[in-house]
Amino acid sequence: MYGLEAINANNGWAISVVGVSIVFSGLVMLSLVISQLHKVLALWENPSKIKALFKIKQPEDQSDKLQEKEIADQAIFTESQKEVVKQFGLLIRTMEDHFSLPRLLHLAQISDLKNPHSTLNNLLETKIIIPDGSGFFTWEKETFDKAIL
Amino acid sequence: MDVLFIEFYHNTGFYLWDYRYLIMIVVGLVFVYLGIAKDYEPLLLVPIGFGILMGNIPVFQGLGLSIYEDNSVLHYLYFGVTQGIYPPLIFLGIGAMTDFSTLLARPILMLLGAAAQTGIFITFLGALALGFAPNEASSIGIIGGADGPTAIFLTAKLAPHLIGPIAVAAYSYMALVPVIQPPIMRLLTSRKERLIRMEEPREVTKREKIIFPIVAFLLCCFLAPAALPLLGMLCFGNLLKEAVVTERLAQTARNSLIDTATILLGITVGASTQGDIFLVPSSIGIFALGALSFSIATASGVLFAKFMNLFLKIKINPLLGAAGVSAVPDSARVVQMVGQKEDPTNFLLMHAMAPNVSGVIGSAIAAGVLWSLMAS
Repeated sequence: MYGLEAINANNGWAISVVGVSIVFSGLVMLSLVISQLHKVLALWENPSKIKALFKIKQPEDQSDKLQEKEIADQAIFTESQKEVVKQFGLLIRTMEDHFSLPRLLHLAQISDLKNPHSTLNNLLETKIIIPDGSGFFTWEKETFDKAIL
Repeated sequence: MDVLFIEFYHNTGFYLWDYRYLIMIVVGLVFVYLGIAKDYEPLLLVPIGFGILMGNIPVFQGLGLSIYEDNSVLHYLYFGVTQGIYPPLIFLGIGAMTDFSTLLARPILMLLGAAAQTGIFITFLGALALGFAPNEASSIGIIGGADGPTAIFLTAKLAPHLIGPIAVAAYSYMALVPVIQPPIMRLLTSRKERLIRMEEPREVTKREKIIFPIVAFLLCCFLAPAALPLLGMLCFGNLLKEAVVTERLAQTARNSLIDTATILLGITVGASTQGDIFLVPSSIGIFALGALSFSIATASGVLFAKFMNLFLKIKINPLLGAAGVSAVPDSARVVQMVGQKEDPTNFLLMHAMAPNVSGVIGSAIAAGVLWSLMAS
């Protein structure tokens, strides 16, 4: 048996359509999952963001406002300080997402960055670097963008 | 004494030879030449080519020399092919070598890997139309996946008598990627399309890379469980690589293990192409359909990339579609080469690796689907 007759007799059309559909479904599903993977991981790494998603907006408290102002005041860096902070950012990109503070300080010192101790202190105060609760620290890109860029 | 000489002469290849053995010896020599002199897939073509020479020395039955004799050494080594053992080991090594970063950075390119698998199913129809049985047609169609181990694995399960021609066709076309693909790519794209530059991919974290093989394995194998031996090993190999703590195992998988499996697979597949068994009309049909399958797979990927561009705000270079066939990394290199002919400052290799590795996953799923459909 040859030609279309052979294809029909062996259910060829259906097998091909089903086969192509399954391959596409599998890879579409996988691409959808991995396109969201980094977002899920970002939430996992910063549980505060998950809480923020479910947090009901409270009327703004005066003390919160004062605290925000304090952070904003602290976040004012001079141009030269901003440069150093950017260099710290570059150093952190070479490290793991959760990095150790002494290691960062050591890298800053051997890289000859200006005033590494005070800059690190400023980064902690302005919450550009925050503790992850397990002895390591993470880089808050959004806070950095607001304060420096 | 004369009788002894005559008896001995009757056992030599000079007496037992047949023109078909001679043709295959020439084919073997061409493979070795292409591998060594032209550098076309030497790691595959040299073992297969030499295997063809080994398989086509005329021997008399009963001494346990031919690969098809139960008590021969080659037959025992061939067991890894007929039982589908070597292909998953090769996939383990491929997994331990592959970096999925570009795929993770731009998951949409995965669709190109899916589109290129259309060639498998179109060729399946073509093989049915030419009178091949459905299990044989499935094995022939998988050549379009441009993935030697997958083609051998599926053929071992569905049509073991066709392993020789299918393996030789699959590896020949894989080696000929730089010859087959560029004309199709140029024919289906305009110069303007070939000049499209791709956006820089985002940075991918280590955690994403570690989680990916686990998610990919679970998702794909729940969907197509028959792909488990291939995808399981591919993803496991990749996990070994990305986990860092298992670097020693990853090293073994991507060096000595894959090399051993490739040598054994190459030499035995080559030896299985014994002239009297290999040179039959169906082999010619398989070669013709294999070329068709490969060309359709390339064209499907390119055309699907153009189709995607109708909906995408930031266009993708349609040449990337050709990398959807899973000849890793050759088809990605071809994309780079064709792209750079138009614009030497356009670097597409990194981007082409995304559809290329998704093609590996896609062809493994396609093999799993065909296996389970044929088994049922």
